[in-house]
Amino acid sequence: MPAESNDLQYADIHRDVVRSIVETGRTYYITLATAAGITLVCFFFPWFYQLYYGIGAAGMNHPGVWGTYLASFIFWIGLSHSGTLLSCVLHLTNSPWRKAIYRSAEAMTLFSLMVAATMVMVHLGRPWFIHWTVPYPNQMELWPNFRSPLLFDVMAVTTYLTGSSLFIYMGTIPDFAAVRDRTTGWRNHMYSLLSLGWRGTDKEWHRLHWAYTFLAVLIIPLAVSVHSIVSWDFAMSIVPALHQTIFAPYFVVGAIYSGTAGIVTVMFVLRKSMNFGQYINASHFDNLGKLLLVLSLLWTYINVVELFTGWYSGTSTEYEALKYKLFGYYALMYWEMILFCAVLPLLCIFKRFRTSFLPMLILSIAINIGMYTERFLIIATSLSRQYLPDAWGLYVPSLVEISILIGSLALFVTMFLLFVKIFPSVSMYEVKETMDTPKAEPAAPPQGSPA
Amino acid sequence: MTNFAIGLFREPHAALAAAGTLKRAGFATPELQSPVPIEGVEEVLGEKKSAIKHFTFFGGLIGGISGFSLAAGTAVLWAHPVGGRPIITIPPYLIITYELAILFGILFTLAGFFISARFPAIRERVYVPEAAVDRFAVTVACDDGETFKRAEVILRESGAEQVRAQTEEG
Repeated sequence: MPAESNDLQYADIHRDVVRSIVETGRTYYITLATAAGITLVCFFFPWFYQLYYGIGAAGMNHPGVWGTYLASFIFWIGLSHSGTLLSCVLHLTNSPWRKAIYRSAEAMTLFSLMVAATMVMVHLGRPWFIHWTVPYPNQMELWPNFRSPLLFDVMAVTTYLTGSSLFIYMGTIPDFAAVRDRTTGWRNHMYSLLSLGWRGTDKEWHRLHWAYTFLAVLIIPLAVSVHSIVSWDFAMSIVPALHQTIFAPYFVVGAIYSGTAGIVTVMFVLRKSMNFGQYINASHFDNLGKLLLVLSLLWTYINVVELFTGWYSGTSTEYEALKYKLFGYYALMYWEMILFCAVLPLLCIFKRFRTSFLPMLILSIAINIGMYTERFLIIATSLSRQYLPDAWGLYVPSLVEISILIGSLALFVTMFLLFVKIFPSVSMYEVKETMDTPKAEPAAPPQGSPA
Repeated sequence: MTNFAIGLFREPHAALAAAGTLKRAGFATPELQSPVPIEGVEEVLGEKKSAIKHFTFFGGLIGGISGFSLAAGTAVLWAHPVGGRPIITIPPYLIITYELAILFGILFTLAGFFISARFPAIRERVYVPEAAVDRFAVTVACDDGETFKRAEVILRESGAEQVRAQTEEG
């Protein structure tokens, strides 16, 4: 662990994390303004344009009635998976290396889910009727169909968003209290409210431990169910190449894979921009690299199985869908996906690669490009080749769709930038737990008191 | 109004030992405040029980029943026969049941945490800000000056680097 090897003390962690919240440099404001500007120009303006002129502004048309919006939805839901899920699994298995990185990973979950939910709104022609998906008494006697995977989605994503928000909040209460004592003005009021009067008593720690553990136990099956349900949006149709039983594990493994790669990217950026090199170090990248290697092998295995079962079925439609995926219009993208997600991650076999920051960053970005491609291909290649040749056709995203895709990345970055100035992005108390007990380091006089 | 003696320690095991000595000397159960959870508290101050698990269990149960009732009730009230298949179709409804069981389980767990840890704090309680950074505090209620002196002696003998008094309203 970093904290053990460096001669850090409790007060150092406190100081560094509080500094990351209260001290804001010009670079931060420039980055935030750029991200917010791109969000406005590339995400909201095209979306308003699409709302004004109709859904035809997007490139979706028969047979490609689903496009990059839904590919982005799956991508962002997938990216959300490593944060809270990994944090829960590592919490229950008592893995100390999780402690420095999990807070930001959980935030990644939260914001990915928010972007994913927004992508559904963008995909809808009339998003102002989104509340019709929720069962509530109304005079029109509108009531959702509980047999539809789309409604499963509403239930699962809402539950996951609620669970992830509460999980990250509950785990941050002690740190809110610690920051409260070191801040003044509006920040002190805000942290006083958020910390709920936490004092760090033995009783409070005991309650927090059990409540946090129960949430972790509940969230693991929930996370698995969320992406399984997303896969059923496709697998419960009768479209060749989509109607497959392996889709649920395929999606879950893909989600954890892209999420873990996302964590590597975020950790690299945090390490550089917040000067958290002492807390997020080579050992974290080493462990994440091992995880990426295992997940890439699993993902590759499932892809091979998908190809094999399609070929072995002997069905002409399945066979055509496979042939189209491997050698058709989108073949270049397919092989790019294989290169980025199945071949390049094999570099993680070497410890030297896993502990090198820049190569790991490049690999993590490559994996996520590959995983976005995978989601795009699931939709584009299958809908383009359905049963009858007269129903075949191509899907190519319009400028509006491409712009919204870029804008969704900027939206995620904007939300994350706001997060690091409100939440302590490294869990102070859990990093302290991994260290020796404090030595002679005088505490600075506190300026606040609990509610 | 209650008066407290507060002992500040640099090391957790010294604070824990002091709390144990105070308890054995007949003081009302001392409280520890610390920047991290301290291991072995229950061996010294007695086992702690919380009702959170019951909240989680009943939350999950209520959520599951609600989820299935919602889906099945909808199907019965707005019957939609599809090719002679059953009106109440178990496999899809189990998914709604599962999701709502987890949702309610999570919400009830949060409620259980708030109730059992007494959050949010409405009144001012005895608090040692140093214990949020790098000190371990033992707080114990003292009825009068004599008791405070006894507590102070125990705390100092156990290695407290500072002993002070604080009053809690209410």
